[in-house]
This record gives sequence, structure tokens and C-alpha cells, in this order.
Amino acid sequence: MSTILVWKEELQMLYAKHAVYVEKALKFILGLAVFGLINSNIGFMKAAASMLCTIGLSAVCAFLPLTVMVIAASVLILAHFYALSLPVAAVAGAIFLVMYIFYFRFTPKKAWLVLLTPIAFAFKIPYIIPIAFGLVGTPVYAIPVACGSIVYYMLHYVKGSSAALKGTSADSMVKNFTAFAKQVLQNKEMWVIVVAFALCLLVVYTIRTKSADHSWKVAIVTGAIINVIVIVIGDVTFDIHIAYVGLIFGSIFAIALGAALEFFIFTVDYSRTERMQFEDDEYYYYVKAVPKIMVPAPVKKIKKINEHKETTTIDTDAIRKVAMKQKIPAAQKEAASTWKRKNADEILFKKSLDKDLGISTQSTPGKSGNRNTSQNAANRNNGNRTNSANGTNNRAGRK
Amino acid sequence: MLNEDRVRLMTQMAANEGELEEEDLKISSYYRKDYSSLHTLITVLWLTVGYGIIVGLVALGNMDAIMKNLTINKTITLCVGVVVVYVVLVIIYAIAANQFYKAKHNKAKQRVKKYYRDLSRLGKLYMKEK
Repeated sequence: MSTILVWKEELQMLYAKHAVYVEKALKFILGLAVFGLINSNIGFMKAAASMLCTIGLSAVCAFLPLTVMVIAASVLILAHFYALSLPVAAVAGAIFLVMYIFYFRFTPKKAWLVLLTPIAFAFKIPYIIPIAFGLVGTPVYAIPVACGSIVYYMLHYVKGSSAALKGTSADSMVKNFTAFAKQVLQNKEMWVIVVAFALCLLVVYTIRTKSADHSWKVAIVTGAIINVIVIVIGDVTFDIHIAYVGLIFGSIFAIALGAALEFFIFTVDYSRTERMQFEDDEYYYYVKAVPKIMVPAPVKKIKKINEHKETTTIDTDAIRKVAMKQKIPAAQKEAASTWKRKNADEILFKKSLDKDLGISTQSTPGKSGNRNTSQNAANRNNGNRTNSANGTNNRAGRK
Repeated sequence: MLNEDRVRLMTQMAANEGELEEEDLKISSYYRKDYSSLHTLITVLWLTVGYGIIVGLVALGNMDAIMKNLTINKTITLCVGVVVVYVVLVIIYAIAANQFYKAKHNKAKQRVKKYYRDLSRLGKLYMKEK
């Protein structure tokens, strides 16, 4: 169960991420279904019944509001009917006009719902429509369901009686006009289905809006049962020969689809239901809070490992040699500067001795100078070690 | 320079613009009573056309039954029945349409009001920056 819930979350996330493209794709698929079914069933006008026309219309309607698809489907049906017979097109046009006057004018944005009922009939799953519309919609949805059923039965009749409806003479046209109007308006099966679907939808809507536990499940099953009962009563009363096997299996399939719809729209955990009671100045409130089942979709972290980079081989011996060459002059420079500094210290020390103690180092210039000179020369020859030793002695002496 | 309040307001307005349709501006230019009366009248006219079509189709479909044993009394009864149903439908439809268009006008007016309020706030923010 949790896996399916995760899939649901992932699907929702996917839809949220690519909503624009998904909607366009769904519209295109709906267009293919609508125009494809019209052209394959009543394709009397050869130019309009081509695959190119189906795909072209679907592609255009995918980028336009759904109301345009409804209008395009109506015009296509009328074009095919006109190719077959003018009276048929006239009666169909009148029926479409009535639908527009009584429904589409008020809710043009929900006009596309009319398209779903004929599609469901064509795919042999009509019983899902009232249940699905009852679960997601309002009682007003009964009107598009009824309109869709009327359109389907009209197309079904024309498809079955196309040979009889042909005729260009004035007499046959009048006959066709009357026969088609009579057939469309007096089709008992159609009216039984319209009533059954409307009742089913209202029952499903009424039950699923109740606060009782598992109201959606109860609504789905009750709606399917009501549907079967009304259709069977209609069948027995008007003798319309509806296939019971198809009715029962269709209803079971409708229950399954309704349950799937419930899973996607209304997933709640009744075992964690909380009941609260509180009041204000005017009312007492009895609140029932049913928590939703939420399973967060796992977020996949992708760790990118950088690709292997080629490194050059370093000749360590050569580098070492270069470093040594650079080091030696630096050491020599340092030694020279240290020697200069020490020499200056020595001169200063001698001057201070002259001044404070009166010991004249200048009195024995030859001796001392020679010694100093020779010492300096020795220092120069012996390098750093001797210099530092002298420096230390000098400082000690000064102290 | 970017003003955070202004950016926020403009984003909000852009989001609300989807809800605000061109029709809303048109609707809000009418007084509520005028708008609902006009559209109720149009609805009644459409109803008359629709009812005429339905009656015509039903008459066409039941031509045999109507023409059978047609007498003056039967014709008058049928005509009176058709007119009575029409009047009842007109009354029901007129009341329903009046309520529907009043509610529609209210919603459109609210959306336009909110849009103009946001516009004026935006204008003030621009003035403040100058």
C-alpha cells in the first residue's frame, strides 16, 4: 500500500513539474479519441474523415481551450451528417442548439464534459461516467451526462441506419426528417440510460458528501447498484433488450475505476479520526477530523563524481637540483649580511670601550688592526659558523 | 533599484490576472441591476428559441399521433398546454437567470475591485520611490 502511495506522490510531483506539457498531451489524446471516433463511426464526408484531419484537429485543439474542441466536434458531426442527409444534419443542429441554449451558455468551461460520455460509450465503459462525475462533480454534472448520452445515441442510430437515411428526393427528405426526429426523441433505451445515469450521479454525490466513514466507497457501490436497478426496471418496463452481462460486468468495472479515483482524490485514514466539540456565543460545534494519508515521496540524491583527470609525471631529481641551485646563493647572501651586521657591532663595541674606559684600541693600530684583519679574513674563510660565534662573544662582552 | 514590496505586489497581481478575465471589466461597467436584467432578457429570448426548437422536434417526431383524430378542441388543448409550459419555463428560467447573473456580477466586481486596489497600491509605491 505504501508503495502505491509513493507512486501516487511521485505521479503528482511529476504532474506538478510538467503540468503544461501533460495538459497539452492529454488534450491531444482527448482530441484523437473524439475526432477519431467521430471519423471512424460516421465518416460520411471523405475529406473530413481522413487521418490527417483527425491529427490536425487534435493538434490544433491541444493548444486551444476545451470549448473549442466541443465546437469543432459539433461542426465535424454536422459536416458528416450533411454529407449523408440534410434533414439529419438539420435535426442534429437543432439538438446541439438546444444543448447550447440550456447548458453551454451558463457553464462554457464545463462544456467538454459532454465529450466524455460518448467516448465512454464507445469504449464500452459508460457506467463509470455517472459514478466518476458524482465523485468529482456537482449535481449540475447530470446535464452534460444527459447531453452526452443523447449525442451518443444519435450517432449510434445514424451509424446503424445510414443506408436508410440516404436520399435526395424531396419526399424522402421529409420522411428522413420525421423518422430521425422520431428516433432521436423516442429512443426508450436512451431515456432509460439518461434517467439511470442522472439518478446514479445524484445518489453518488449525496452519499459521498456525507461525513460518515467510508462514504466514498459506499457511494460508489450504491451508485452502481442504483444504476443496475434502474436500467433493469427500464428494460423490463419498456422491453428495450439491454445485455445484462455487459451491464453487470460494466458496473463491476465502474466500481473498480471508482475505487481508483477515490485512491487518487480522497485517501484518508479513518482509524485516526478525531472528534472535537467546542462552542462560541451562538453555536455548538461537533467537528470530525479525518486525517489524510500522506507518504512523502523519497527524494533521490544524485552524487556526481568528477571524471578522472590525467596528471603529468614530475621529475623529482631535476626539481631537487634546481632547488639546491637556488638555495646556495641565498645562504651565501644571508651569511654576508650577517657578517656585515656583526662587524658593525664590533666597531660600535670598540667605540664604547674607548669612550667609557679610555682603552684606546687605536693606540696599537698595527697589532690590533692586524689581528682584526687576520680575524676577519679567517672569518670570511670559515664561513657562517665562525661569524655566529664571534657575534655571540661580542654581545656577551657588551653585556 | 528593486523594491521588494513592489515586486511582491506585482507578482501577486500577475497571479491574480489569470482569474481576472476581460469579461470581468466589461461586466463591472454595468450596474448590477442593469446587467442582470439585460441578461435575463437575453436568456428568455434564447429560451423561447430553444423551446420552439424542442416543440418543433417533438411535434415532428409525434406527427402521426398528433394528426390522428385531430379536432379543434384537441388543437386548442395542445396549444394551451404548449403556452402554459412555456410560461412556467419562462418564470422559472427568469428567476434562476436573474440570480445567476447577479452572482456573476458580484464576483466580477469583486475581482475588478481587487485588481484596481492593487494597481493603486502599485502606483503609490512608484510615487514613493520617486
